Amino acid sequence: MEKIGETSALCPVCLKTIKATKVAENDKVYIVKECPEHGKWKVQIWSGSEHYKYLYEFAAVQKPPQKFAVKEMKDCPQDCGLCNEHKQQTCLNVVEVTNLCNMNCPICFATANGCGYKYHPSLDEIKKMFQTVVDNVKSPRVVQLSGGEPTIRDDLPEIIKMAKDMGIEHIEVNTNALRISEDMEYLKALADAGMDSFYFQFDGIDDNIYLQTRGRPMFDVKKKAIENCGIVGVGVTLVVTVSPNINLDHVGKIIEFAGLNVPTVKGVHFQPITYFGRYPIEPTDKDRVTLPDLANAIEKQTMGMLKADNFLPTSCSNVHCDMKSLSIVMEDGSLFPLTTMALGPPVKTDDIADKTRTEVSKFWRFIEETMDGPSGSEDKTWRSFISRAKTHYLTVSAMAFQDVWTGEVERWERCCIHMVTPDGKLIPFCLFNCTAADGRTIYRRKAFCGN
Amino acid sequence: MVIKMDIVFSDEVKKAIEGKGLKVDDIKKVIEGAEASNDKITNGSKFIAKKVLGDVTVYADYSVGGSITVNSGYAHKMKLQDIVMDTADSEWTYVKNGKKIRKGHTNLSFMGATRSAPSLVDPASGESWLEEYLAAKTIAVAEMLFSQKRA
Ligand code: SF4
Ligand code: SF4
Ligand SMILES: [Zn+2]
Repeated sequence: MEKIGETSALCPVCLKTIKATKVAENDKVYIVKECPEHGKWKVQIWSGSEHYKYLYEFAAVQKPPQKFAVKEMKDCPQDCGLCNEHKQQTCLNVVEVTNLCNMNCPICFATANGCGYKYHPSLDEIKKMFQTVVDNVKSPRVVQLSGGEPTIRDDLPEIIKMAKDMGIEHIEVNTNALRISEDMEYLKALADAGMDSFYFQFDGIDDNIYLQTRGRPMFDVKKKAIENCGIVGVGVTLVVTVSPNINLDHVGKIIEFAGLNVPTVKGVHFQPITYFGRYPIEPTDKDRVTLPDLANAIEKQTMGMLKADNFLPTSCSNVHCDMKSLSIVMEDGSLFPLTTMALGPPVKTDDIADKTRTEVSKFWRFIEETMDGPSGSEDKTWRSFISRAKTHYLTVSAMAFQDVWTGEVERWERCCIHMVTPDGKLIPFCLFNCTAADGRTIYRRKAFCGN
Repeated sequence: MVIKMDIVFSDEVKKAIEGKGLKVDDIKKVIEGAEASNDKITNGSKFIAKKVLGDVTVYADYSVGGSITVNSGYAHKMKLQDIVMDTADSEWTYVKNGKKIRKGHTNLSFMGATRSAPSLVDPASGESWLEEYLAAKTIAVAEMLFSQKRA
């Protein structure tokens, strides 16, 4: 057993901050922690200990936030807001506009149905949260409207327009796709209001999966909604909660489906399952998927078309939080990956938050500027390859949210994905959603219902 | 007999060539080779010559008067392969064999992929030349995308 690092973590029972160590054993990385009152835990957080250590070389020179709500932090992650010790500024702001939903999914952690209180802020309250973003986060500002199900709000177009008017450049809407599959007028209103893209819950291309995750068949709904988005010209990122017991063996098919649906589908974003909410029986390592496990499953199921090596950490938050690849989708539907670990750690990693925000768009703008030669529709030319690259690309990415068992301060204090609270705070997204084993939240309930 | 002429680069041209990651000396090599062998094309007012240096095909675009004036230099990493088609006459002539150069398409291969691009071709000798707009734009971007792949 080799010790890799020391950090702090949460006791899954009392939610107090406790010491934790990270150790490598049999090529796996574990977080080991002990609460003097409630016992000891050892939970797997990574597969491949050398890879885990090597990734630190991709870490960015980080940019702390310019403003913070908590001036004197004593105990991370209990004094969150952000605080004066936080190490990375915000890339993505999540604003919850309701906790009501038009579905009742067995795996949801956010909705009113499970938590016993209603949260449905007024336009003024939402405006206040947008103001928090404008005041604390540098341009370009990206906001994800989330819930609950944001599209149950008829005033969502108004909310989007308000955000844009306040100087928020990019708005994505998290959705289960139900309403946009059947309400074209509403979808158009969202697009007209300036919405940029959908963050689109998608668990697989097989209704057996939806029956388990959502309690009803949904694949036709998803297909119809994607078709509608294509008509109004709104991009879609498929967001897949990956569970080893449900759909880990479907990730290849999901990527294939995404490739066939570019350019409407812009990306697939995998989220290995986390355990928020009440869990009478503690989840075991078998109930989890680490990022390397996911990358290997993708390599295997895509027959090596997309390899584990094509995934790089975005180096924006913590190198162990996420991974991302970018591919061109060729005429025959195959992927042509542009990213690879072989590129090595970035040479200049400062200002990385700014970089991730603009890098990709800059890259494509560069391609656009070089496309001004005589046009040709010839197939199999280098020109058509480039035009394809411009429109038919697919990002495949993943973020491993942390829960009360896997969570660690080393990652939270570098988080760049922040929940905006009604009282003007920014809190790392997965920390915000953390709950004790009995379902008690550390932040969510306090923020949204005041007790 | 070859008369050795001075090869002149204006500061501006020199800067542009170096900005593309090319060496002034390499452009000189291309011109010297072309002047010695007549392996160059002309449109009556200027010449284009190419030479493979290492992994790169380097081009010189130049005019000949009392001395040689370099108008531009550019390069591509892709390898010129066979001519795919030729469609029309161009204003260019191949000095080496006196044949009229045609507008056409040539296959270019790079890191295992082969696709075509518009080019100037001489079907008789099988030679192809890329014009600068193409080498500096489409082909350069494609090379960049492919190099990012690397794996
Ligand atoms: S997660 Fe960041 S903001 Fe929150 S307490 Fe820790 S260092 Fe402070
Ligand atoms: S939300 Fe959680 S997993 Fe995502 S960047 Fe923040 S700390 Fe990492
Ligand atoms: Zn405890």
